Amino acid sequence: MKVKVWGARGSVPSPGPEMNRYGGNTSCVELKLSDGETLILDAGTGIRSLGVALAAGMPNINILLTHLHLDHIQGLMFFPPCFKTDSRITIWGPSSPEASLEHRIARYISAPLSPVEVRELPCDVSFLDTPASEWEIGSARIRAESVTHRGPTLGYRITEGDTSVCYIPDHEPGLGAPLDGLEQEWISGYDLAHGAQLLIHDCQYTDEEYPDHVGWGHSPLADALTFARRTEAERVMLFHHDPLHTDDFLDSFLGTAVERWEALGGGATQLELAAERRELEVGAARELAAG
Amino acid sequence: MEGAQKPLELILARNLLTSISTPAFLVDHAGVLMFYNEAAGALLGIPFEEAGRMGPEEWGMRFGPFGSDGERIPYQELPLTVALRDGRPAHASFRIRSANGEEHDIAVSAMPIATDEGTSGALAIFWPVDDGRGSGEAGR
Repeated sequence: MKVKVWGARGSVPSPGPEMNRYGGNTSCVELKLSDGETLILDAGTGIRSLGVALAAGMPNINILLTHLHLDHIQGLMFFPPCFKTDSRITIWGPSSPEASLEHRIARYISAPLSPVEVRELPCDVSFLDTPASEWEIGSARIRAESVTHRGPTLGYRITEGDTSVCYIPDHEPGLGAPLDGLEQEWISGYDLAHGAQLLIHDCQYTDEEYPDHVGWGHSPLADALTFARRTEAERVMLFHHDPLHTDDFLDSFLGTAVERWEALGGGATQLELAAERRELEVGAARELAAG
Repeated sequence: MEGAQKPLELILARNLLTSISTPAFLVDHAGVLMFYNEAAGALLGIPFEEAGRMGPEEWGMRFGPFGSDGERIPYQELPLTVALRDGRPAHASFRIRSANGEEHDIAVSAMPIATDEGTSGALAIFWPVDDGRGSGEAGR
C-alpha cells in the first residue's frame, strides 16, 4: 500500500512561508492499493491538489470521511473530479440519527456557504454511512469505528493482505483516563490501531499546551505516543498539526517526540511527523521498522 | 483483530465515572457490572479493582438491596435492570449492605445507554440518604 499525505494540518488551513515544509492544508491522505484503486482519507483542503494530480485517470473514487468538521470536508467543493461527468465518487462517513450523510454535507455545499449545491455537481456522487462491520473496497478491507472526539467521529483501519494502515486523525483517547494504566479494552481506538504497520494519529498539542485544550478532542504528545506504544503500531506518523505550529517549531517538536518515543522503548525510525507530499510504501516501512 | 474493545459509549461513560465523586455503576448490554467508581467503592466497602466484574444476579445480591420491610429486592426490580430491560430511566430508594457490614439507605437513578445499534449498557448513580447527605445536598 502506498501512502501519500496531501494535508496534515488540523483545525484550519494555515498557509505561509513559515509552514511550507509541513504544509498548511488540512487533513487528506491518499492510499494506493495494489489493484490500482485509490482510497482518500478525509477531504480537507489537501484534497484539492490530490484531485488535480488524479487528472483523468481515476473514474471511481472512494472518500472515507472520519467526521464532518470543516477541516475534514472543506476541500470537497474544490475537488476537481466532482466537476467531471465521468467521475463516480462514493463518500463514506459516520451515520447520525439526526440527518443523512448527504444532508449533513449539503449544509456546507449549499448557499450561502457555497456557490453550488450537491445536486448540481455533474459527477455521479453517492453518500453512504459506514457499515457496522468490515467491508471491502477493491483489494482492501475497511473497518470503521467510533473514537473519542467531539461529535460522531470515526477512525479507519484499511487492510490489504497482511498490511494495515490505521488512520485516526482526531482523537483524544486519554480524556478522563490515563492511557498508560488503562486496560486495553477500555482504550478508544485500540482495536483499530492494534498491530497496524502504520498508524496515522492525532498529535495536535504539546504536553504544555494540552491543559488549556482538554476536551477539545485532540491528543497531546504524551498520549499520542502512549497510544502508539500500547497498540503496538509498527510505525507512527503524528498528524493534525496545530495551525500555530510552524516548521521550525515542528522540527523541534519532532526531536522531543523521538526522545520520548525512545524512552518508551520505540525506535527513532518508527516515528515521524506527517508532512505534505510525504510518500511512503507501507510494506517498505514495515521492513524499515523491523530493521 | 481481537474485537475485545468496549463500545465507545461505554468507554466514555467509564471515563466520566472515574472523573466524578458521585457514586456510580456501569453495566454492559447483558447487565454485567463492568465498573464502579471510587466513590461507589467507598460506599460499598470494597474498590472495584478488588470486587471485579460480576454477572447481574451476583451484583444484585451481593450488596442487598433491601426494601423498607427488610425484604431483599429482586434483581429484576432494580433500577439498572429496568433501565436495561425497558430502555427507560428508572429510580428507586432502598438499603444496601457494604462489604464491611455497614448498611446505607440510598437513592438510585439509572439510565440506559442507547446507540443506533441498540442499548449497549446502562449506568446508575446512587446517593446515600442516611448520613446527613440527603437528596437536598446531592449537588455537593
